[in-house]
Amino acid sequence: MVAPLYTTASGLLFHAGKILVCTVGLPARGKTHISRALERYLRWTGVKTQVISLGDYRRKVLGSAQKLPPDYFTLGEKSPETIALRAKIAGGCEQLIWDFFDGGGQVVIYDANNGTTSKRQELAERAEARGIHIIFLESMCDNEEIILSNIRGVKISSPDYRGWDPEKAISDYLQRIRDHEKHYESVEELSVPSIRILNVGEKIMVNDIRGYLQSRIVFFLMNIHNRFRTIYFARSGQSLIEHSYKADSDLSPAGWEYAERLKEFVLERRAKSLEQRGLDASERRLVIWTSARRRSHHTAWPFLQHSAGDGTPAPRVKVIEKPQMAEINPGVWDGLTPEQVVKYFPDEWERFVKDPYAYRAPRAESYHDLCVRLEPTLIELEREKEDLLIVGHASVIRCILAYLIGLPASEIPAIEVARGDLLEVVPTSYGVHSQAFHFWDGPGRSDGAGGGKDAANFYENYAEDTKGKRRPEAPAADAADVAAAA
Amino acid sequence: MSAADTPTNKSTSPTLTNQDLVRVEHALEDIQIQPDGDRLHPPAVFGAGGPMLKQFDQSTAMSRIPSQAATPRSVVGIGNKVAKPDYSEAKIVLAMVGLPARGKSYLSNKLQRYLKWLEYSVKVFNVGQLRRSRARQKALQSGKREDHTAQYFSHNNPEATRSRDQLAEDSLEMLIQWLKEGGNVGIHDATNSTRSRRAKIEQRVAKEKGIVVIFLESVCDDPAVIAANVALKVSSGDPDYKDMSPEDARRDFLRRIKEYESVYETITEPHLSYLRIRNVGDQVTLCHIHGYLQSRIAFYLMNLHLKPRSIFFSRHGESQFNVEGKIGGDSPLSERGMKYARALPALITDNIGDAPLTVWTSTLQRTIQTAQYLPYNKLTWKSLDELDAGVCDGMTYEEIEQAYPEDFANRDEDKFNYRYRGGESYRDVVVRLEPVIMELERQENILIIGHQAILRCLYAYFHNLPHADLPYIKIPLHTVIKLTPKAYGCDEERYTLPIGAVDTHRPKPGTQTSLPPVETGSKREYYGER
Repeated sequence: MVAPLYTTASGLLFHAGKILVCTVGLPARGKTHISRALERYLRWTGVKTQVISLGDYRRKVLGSAQKLPPDYFTLGEKSPETIALRAKIAGGCEQLIWDFFDGGGQVVIYDANNGTTSKRQELAERAEARGIHIIFLESMCDNEEIILSNIRGVKISSPDYRGWDPEKAISDYLQRIRDHEKHYESVEELSVPSIRILNVGEKIMVNDIRGYLQSRIVFFLMNIHNRFRTIYFARSGQSLIEHSYKADSDLSPAGWEYAERLKEFVLERRAKSLEQRGLDASERRLVIWTSARRRSHHTAWPFLQHSAGDGTPAPRVKVIEKPQMAEINPGVWDGLTPEQVVKYFPDEWERFVKDPYAYRAPRAESYHDLCVRLEPTLIELEREKEDLLIVGHASVIRCILAYLIGLPASEIPAIEVARGDLLEVVPTSYGVHSQAFHFWDGPGRSDGAGGGKDAANFYENYAEDTKGKRRPEAPAADAADVAAAA
Repeated sequence: MSAADTPTNKSTSPTLTNQDLVRVEHALEDIQIQPDGDRLHPPAVFGAGGPMLKQFDQSTAMSRIPSQAATPRSVVGIGNKVAKPDYSEAKIVLAMVGLPARGKSYLSNKLQRYLKWLEYSVKVFNVGQLRRSRARQKALQSGKREDHTAQYFSHNNPEATRSRDQLAEDSLEMLIQWLKEGGNVGIHDATNSTRSRRAKIEQRVAKEKGIVVIFLESVCDDPAVIAANVALKVSSGDPDYKDMSPEDARRDFLRRIKEYESVYETITEPHLSYLRIRNVGDQVTLCHIHGYLQSRIAFYLMNLHLKPRSIFFSRHGESQFNVEGKIGGDSPLSERGMKYARALPALITDNIGDAPLTVWTSTLQRTIQTAQYLPYNKLTWKSLDELDAGVCDGMTYEEIEQAYPEDFANRDEDKFNYRYRGGESYRDVVVRLEPVIMELERQENILIIGHQAILRCLYAYFHNLPHADLPYIKIPLHTVIKLTPKAYGCDEERYTLPIGAVDTHRPKPGTQTSLPPVETGSKREYYGER
């Protein structure tokens, strides 16, 4: 259970107090990747979290590396001006950390090298004086390939190297690493709490980690990886009784057609995207998750059928049914139209419209409940290394997308997920890249254009029915575009 | 998706005739919303009590006839049995490492209980137990008893060392054989205290495709914990010491530990996949831990603690629905239920004094009402809501039996696996309660005001009860169950308040008594020696 069950007056959760997670590591060890992933996860669970990056702060204040004094990154004697400049940058950045805590933040992830014991010691003392727990999160890497691919993939596209020749940029960066290496001291001290990760999770050493939030952080870190993969989302096809949760009805004829079309489209799209990256589709498996609801499970059915007629090899597909992924439970509102709800539950309706994220209709689940239910699935999503297709329900896709993209919880009920679109999400170092592809216009297509009585399950489809407005009177926030552009 | 469902040839979509669709549509339009008492309440449109569900199923069933071969199963009626998820890919040898009295058996026991509850097949292969049963056999044959005092464990005793090595190897063979026959996690509960021993295990497991080995080292340097473990070993009826005075036993056991200490090598092999735990939870090292199940195991072990505490379970007070014999719903307490709610605080406070306690309830009003007079901090969990009976919610068992006699019998046949249409099965509830168990492991004194099915699942975890029996565990109304975790299980006390309530327990049809009384308790079970 990671999502909070309650809020406290201080805004801090899990009785964990304030925590400063300090990354430690040489350049190009994936510190930023880990920091961002952890930030996204903690935020999704409701913990007020912020990554504060020394590099970003330095670039913001001083501009890119070319504008720095030549001895800024190099080893040995530095001019007094450079020393003063470095101290000013470090001090200014640190102030951002304390400001965030003073403003009610709970966790800061300080993304910097923090490469010497004495520096860490000083920082720990300053944090302690403010009543903040400190954890060092060291990322180590002794695999040259991981480092090089990190430099190629991320570093040389950084603003520091804008306009550089790639090869020259790489060698400059390697020089920067070598300079750091000479001074670098690994976190050997056992007096401070630490998490040390070797080669992106190959080995994890944990020292003096206490309390729930901290062990949750370790569990999360054990499950992330940086292998390239794509996550696809599609809604299930039209069912015979769209508007009842309880009836758990099967697909309609149009729903079956939709399922066939989805299979074709996904395989085609996936082949194309793998080819673009020079990856061999036959070596990778496509894992499909469905809920245990019939409309979702049966939408994945065509993937398990293979017509050997045309001689193409069967795609390597595995379908897994996950009961935790059922759509949001509408409780006593099951099967009702909004008009009926307004008539029979006027007070509840008022409260629902005011706060569709936190409000729980009688016997129903709120979006918050749904997020709590989905949390174990998210960890499995993080660890899955194969391409993944989630054939789900709009409400479930909303929660997972919000996690991947990093949207605040209050936005979740407003994310439009059109039936008939395939969403493609590619995790990258600094977030995700997502795109929507339209593949279906038949019955059951829902895109906010008013799907007629088919889209009558308003609790599930509230975002589409109101075109992404959180409140009927609020200005339209086109969440589908957010999803597509982020 | 089970193998039987997997289609082999291409299907055509089932076709619904227009006539069928019209019928469904008419049925939908016919919904009449009836006023109910002083408050308007729409009926549950697709509840199993009304005619809609049957009409709908009949119309879809007819439309499916021409295409039956190629389409997957579909649910009709009030639900169906759901097969256990496929865990056949998980095959792990978990080899314990550690000196005697470092809590190895404690950890393996807990892990076994947790993983079994999640429906993995887990078995502990305890080398000490194998040694004793072999010795017993030998003694029967030759009439001579082998000496198993500390001398036997000395590494200067070559004959005994050979014999102990052989035992460890045999036990590993038995474990691997068991994994091949369908087991998921085999726990090799032995000291495995030297590099060479671990290397042997590693080499042996490497020969088996699809089986991986992880080592779990339990390190303990807290003298108090070690002393407590030694005392427990000596007093828990360990067969090795059954003819010795406790003082002699203690001395012998301490000597045995010394013998192991002289050759003990902590895990430093860089390539091994291992977890090291210091003083149960203080410090954890994970090395080469890959795979989902492995990371779950690691997270579970990180959340354990040894502080003494108690867990209290109580169902909500008797509700209106209980009185009417209806299942599910969100009804308020009955008169007697309210009486229970008022009597509960005194019972709890008498029991724990001023120790801190947190109360957990579900989101349903009958649990919140039951907790209302308790002077403790209260938290509401959605995950503690009662098993969702889907289309049967709000009906009595008699009504269900009348409307769907066959389905009803089906559920009785395999209650754990039966998922109500639009609702849940007991398995679904276990999955949803897993985070609750994790949180319970971390917390100290907790009182859960819950529901029958929910408490059955939680109770089964603490007492390691099989899933087939789980839906028939007796959790009566107006009774507080107190569980106190001990090293090898839980002590249990029950307090029944003298406030009458209906009996909501339905024994499995065809059985006279529901279950033999569960043998519960915290005594160490010497595997297979009962």
